[in-house]
Amino acid sequence: MPERTDDSKMTATPLTRVLGILGIAASVVMAVLGLFISPPDVVQGEAVRMLYLHVPSIWIAYGSFVLTSISSLLFLARSKRREDSGRHYDRLAGSAAEVGVVFTGLTLITGMLWGKVTWGTYWQWDARLTTTVLLFVTYLGYLALRRLPADPVVRGRRAAVMALISFINVPIVHYSVDWWRTLHQKASLSVGRRPEITGEMYWTLLYSALTVTIVGAWLIIHRYRVIRLEEIRDEENLKMLISSRHQEKPTDSTAAGEVS
Amino acid sequence: MDLTPRHEIEEPEEVRRTIHRRRRWIILVIAVLLIAALAFVTAQGLRNATLFFRNVDEAIEQRTELGTSRFRIQGRVIPSSVQGESGVTTFQIVHECAVAAIRHTGDPPELFESPWIPVVLEGRWVQGKSQTAAGADSHYFRSDRMLVKHTNEYASANEVRVNEEPPAGFLDDCSFEVPVDHS
Amino acid sequence: MSEVATVAIGWGLTFVVIVTYSLWVVSRGRTIGRKIGIGEVHQSGQLQESDLPTDT
Repeated sequence: MPERTDDSKMTATPLTRVLGILGIAASVVMAVLGLFISPPDVVQGEAVRMLYLHVPSIWIAYGSFVLTSISSLLFLARSKRREDSGRHYDRLAGSAAEVGVVFTGLTLITGMLWGKVTWGTYWQWDARLTTTVLLFVTYLGYLALRRLPADPVVRGRRAAVMALISFINVPIVHYSVDWWRTLHQKASLSVGRRPEITGEMYWTLLYSALTVTIVGAWLIIHRYRVIRLEEIRDEENLKMLISSRHQEKPTDSTAAGEVS
Repeated sequence: MDLTPRHEIEEPEEVRRTIHRRRRWIILVIAVLLIAALAFVTAQGLRNATLFFRNVDEAIEQRTELGTSRFRIQGRVIPSSVQGESGVTTFQIVHECAVAAIRHTGDPPELFESPWIPVVLEGRWVQGKSQTAAGADSHYFRSDRMLVKHTNEYASANEVRVNEEPPAGFLDDCSFEVPVDHS
Repeated sequence: MSEVATVAIGWGLTFVVIVTYSLWVVSRGRTIGRKIGIGEVHQSGQLQESDLPTDT
């Protein structure tokens, strides 16, 4: 079966192995920088170390959802012209969204813990927290929609539309702290504004973002390959079921007669 | 090997349906749960998110409309005004040169200790004479819930000392002075 | 909960979530791969075109 040669490996390739080792090494350095080398904050003390998890997590989630949206757009625009009906883009959208959901979840968990020690509460329904949990739930819905049984192309199209609708919330989450009054502080870094964060913390934050990007990329690539394998398995199962039905036919003449 | 169906065209569809019939129910239940969660979150968000707190100056301006209703007030804690006694903490918060006297019941969060920290307090206006940095007032704010609203400014504790000076420019336009405890 | 405990729990939880998810993805790939008879292929050589699964 020639179409399978590209996929006839497990989900690891030399590239992802290098990426994986790089990710592990970078994470170790990130932990050393974030937990030991970077200084405690003058107001928050040690609690500031949550910054290096919380903020990069949501950045990677945003990035993943951007990738999901672009892939969904390409799927909708190009699906008819491609030999595989654009399922490459569909798989990319799905894998990026799942990784995005994992990192949004991590953002919520780390944020709640951080909130408990700084604000004095795990949760408040302010605009930032509310829109973030909404983001989490809508993309969970997107992932559920992807599992609804349907023709792959039809399912892909539905999912792509849902992905594009869900993305509307991303800028709302980001700007919620500027548009509404929130308990949550304003963006840690934003374009055109001097970062109000001291050098060592600033570099640790940027380094952490890079590390999380590597880990996220590794996850998305592997997840993509697993989705491809799932598709092959489903196709194979279907073929097997069909052929076993055909083999039943000649022995059971009455049933065959009824069906036709 | 040719695996294309040799009989009815509907057959692959039929097989597919058998595989997926059970999964469909599970997914339907999950979808309903998700939609319910979504509706709940939106309702919560609409109730609170648009006006999470009023700044001190607005809360004073709207005092008559607010009456005894419960709301959240936001301002920076004047460090020299903090006094604690058997579970009740009294202090003053300031925003845009408007000062409110606070009587808070309950344990304040740890970060309340840092000078000029912005806080959000939940409670209501209560009639009663009070003295603030800005002068005499006819009301004070009785609060039973305190949240520390820390900023997005980060500075190394190794380089910056905690000091009781107000943040640069914060009280520049105010007609009153705030005593600074230099001890 | 103290600041240090919060930081420890936060970093620990994040680590556990990422590692668990990674392992799940990789093992799922392996399971399905084996089920559909792909098997593990040596990365070193220029790929043998045979259909034999080469378990390592």
